[in-house]
Amino acid sequence: MAVLEEDQMLSLAENAVKEALKKGAAEAEAYVYEGQATNVGIERGQITKTNTIIDRGLGVRVIVDKAVGFAYTNIIEGQKAIEDTITGALSAARASKPDQDWNGLPEKRPYVTAEKTYDPRILEFRSEGLVDIASSMLDAAVSVNKRVFPIEGGAGAAYLASSIANSNGVIGFDRGTIMECSLAAVAKEGNMVTPVCFEFNAGRACDVNPVWVGKEAVRLAVSALKTKRIKTITTNLILTQFALQELLHFTLMNAVKADNVQRNQSPLQGKLDEKIASENITIYDDGLMASGLRTWAFDGEGTPHQKTTLIEKGILRNFLYDNYAAKKEEKESTGNASRAGYLSTPSIEATNCHIMPGNKTSDQLMNEVDDGLIIYYLQGAHSSNPVSGEFSVVATPAWKIRNGKIAHATRGVMLAGNIFEVLKNVSAIADNERQIGPLVAPWILVENVRVIGK
Amino acid sequence: MEDILAKINSVAVQKFGAEYSETRAQKLYKTMLTLKEGRVEAAKQGIENGVAVRVLVKGAWGFASVGSIDANVLMTAVSSACKMAKNASSRLKTPIKLAETKIVEDRVQMKPKKKPSTILMEDKINTALEINKAVLGYDKRVKGCTIDYLDLTGTSYFSSSEGILIEQDKLYVWSRITSTAASKGVFTFSREEIGSTAGYEVFDTAPEAIGEKVAKRAIKQLGAKSPKGGRSQVVLGPNVVGVFVHEAFGHLAEADLALAGGILQNNFGKKIGSDLVTFYDDGTVDGAFGSFKYDDEGVPTQKTLLIKDGVVTGLMHNRETAQKFNAEPTGNARAENFRVEPIIRMRNTYMAPRDHSLEELTEGISSGYYFKSFRGGQANLDGTFQVGIQEGYEIVNGEIGAPVRNASISGSTLETLFKVDAVGKDFELWPGRCGKGQTAFICDGGPHIRVKEVIVGGSA
Repeated sequence: MAVLEEDQMLSLAENAVKEALKKGAAEAEAYVYEGQATNVGIERGQITKTNTIIDRGLGVRVIVDKAVGFAYTNIIEGQKAIEDTITGALSAARASKPDQDWNGLPEKRPYVTAEKTYDPRILEFRSEGLVDIASSMLDAAVSVNKRVFPIEGGAGAAYLASSIANSNGVIGFDRGTIMECSLAAVAKEGNMVTPVCFEFNAGRACDVNPVWVGKEAVRLAVSALKTKRIKTITTNLILTQFALQELLHFTLMNAVKADNVQRNQSPLQGKLDEKIASENITIYDDGLMASGLRTWAFDGEGTPHQKTTLIEKGILRNFLYDNYAAKKEEKESTGNASRAGYLSTPSIEATNCHIMPGNKTSDQLMNEVDDGLIIYYLQGAHSSNPVSGEFSVVATPAWKIRNGKIAHATRGVMLAGNIFEVLKNVSAIADNERQIGPLVAPWILVENVRVIGK
Repeated sequence: MEDILAKINSVAVQKFGAEYSETRAQKLYKTMLTLKEGRVEAAKQGIENGVAVRVLVKGAWGFASVGSIDANVLMTAVSSACKMAKNASSRLKTPIKLAETKIVEDRVQMKPKKKPSTILMEDKINTALEINKAVLGYDKRVKGCTIDYLDLTGTSYFSSSEGILIEQDKLYVWSRITSTAASKGVFTFSREEIGSTAGYEVFDTAPEAIGEKVAKRAIKQLGAKSPKGGRSQVVLGPNVVGVFVHEAFGHLAEADLALAGGILQNNFGKKIGSDLVTFYDDGTVDGAFGSFKYDDEGVPTQKTLLIKDGVVTGLMHNRETAQKFNAEPTGNARAENFRVEPIIRMRNTYMAPRDHSLEELTEGISSGYYFKSFRGGQANLDGTFQVGIQEGYEIVNGEIGAPVRNASISGSTLETLFKVDAVGKDFELWPGRCGKGQTAFICDGGPHIRVKEVIVGGSA
């Protein structure tokens, strides 16, 4: 694929900043984004579709009399489109209201190179190669079990790049690649159909394991057949990474954002250096983790990524900051300003949220459970209370564990509780970490969770 | 614009051997705001122009999207879409075919009373500030208020190799107001959304009213207790009924998900609910957030009857699934924007009202819950639904009583629709956003209903 060169992207950003200052901005920041992706899609057991997307754009943030204006465009050819965007940002700022807490855009700080985030082979990768990946995934799935129907999935390769410049001299360019393949399957027997069982493999290098994905999706779907209902009980749960990611994203991750803390909408307010979780919980936000899916040299405001300790042996150590929230407390940003490409202003998000693994194998963790459940996915985690951390969700699929072994699949099991209670009740952690979206984590064992059954 | 698009389609067919080609172009303009406790975080605006080309070559889809309307860029895009489709077709067992649709040429104009683009940014900010004031001024235990605002205007063009040519105005106005409250270590959260395809006049109703509503709910929840987990009789308000219809049935009635093994695959024409259950998906409701005239395959929208008196009578189709089911396309193919392919999406999905008052629904219940307002929901192909609740109350001896917090309801669709045993005579339609890989603007709603039994996810 033909992509914009580093110097093209840098000069576009730098020129936009200069032009904005010339037109009357007190401060200015320009963010240039390019994304190119090719995907091959599976629908209902066969490869049916392909797509390719080229998306480029420029977002300009300007400050006039402490009021913030922002404008973006996806047309970056020609000076007029750029000037119109700058004019748009300025007129938005002039129409807006001053923010007395505005303390300036970020200052320049040195960058560390992000490791193992870019593989040039992905730029040369063609849709034929993706068809091969998707085919081997499908073949692996169908060869395992005839009761399984692969409903959806595919393989994709993407190139992402961004450049940033601001009027404090911040200037940066970074690029990266991602390759992934995924398969969602259901198993059918008579009139029974299982919940959707999903597996995927993603990384920054031109290298995925479609056969494993195909086999694993099928294994899950088959084992989700023949369900039995369970009783309402307070019990032990093993949360796998999918379930953990869903649950934490809509609860804990809101509570550690500094703006929520400052705005009196986090239960963790005032709890720095207090024990908020079990001693075996240590969590970092690590924006520089080698080959991490969210690893970049800098964040959406040009602040360098870093490794921030959130929870150390159960003790809350830090919150996540962007530039605005950090300056409000006269602190340094932790590099957690996130952007939806060129389309949005920055807001606080985790990078790679890393829950440190324990020293038990997944089998040993299972063996610790005399009676409990292992939960793969949750349904409805986004309906959790984002402020209090309370959740009420369906665990599907989930399996009953008896004497350290999977006894049977369950149906219609609900979980209700509070994430901060869950964190206190984590009794053991496995060593099988993997990355799901922003979360890098192993399986965890939680005691005393309310499970609603028949 | 139309000429370029038609030319791309003819190149696809004549030069690259596509059996079908469609091009969609968009010229969109957005205005956005985010306010936090009355502080304008940023006033924002943006331009998104681009073209999507979708082709069918040897029975496989090829799709390319570019942020450009330059003829050379589009020629490259159509060439790569056709090549990629040909590659994908190499392993195809069942080639894709499309159901017939009417060949139309049309120009669809919106006639809002108040065009969002003619309202000054200052005025939009002032309206948001009035809502903010009503939220924060309601009670000193209200701690936070976030207001997001979006308006989107512009034009979309659709052209196909079969000769369809449509130019449609686009207009969406949307706002989300959230409020948090805290007292004695208890934290609560409340949300309302406004969404319309009519025009900025949707903000003519007093901003104070919606602000107060959001704040009042957050405050009431401070004193709420956890509901008891387990099976319970419930009364659902229109806002929850809408999401229940959407999650427990709507997604399963999307023909792509039915074909993927969803539980409606083998239930067409069968009775799967009580006689009181009649659902529609309707793209024709004037000004509603999920309404439009033509979908993103150029098919006219319609009012689709999904279940009549408990019997499954219709599914939501695009042209591909309609062909498989030997049915008519229903106009449900929607793409969030030019970057993505159209997929089957709901429009305004609702339950038809019957004849009960709210009092009649609650009066026979000795112990149960009244769930009035939702927070999120999710469907699964096996028919397990989940709807989160942001406002709920106990029902004790027929009376609506104390508030309960952070509940959700779940169940199995094929069991639960039979348990709908009384349906109200009121009706409300609520705007929302639905996620299925892409975001779609939708509405859902209905009357109050009584359900004999659902599972309530409560921690008590």
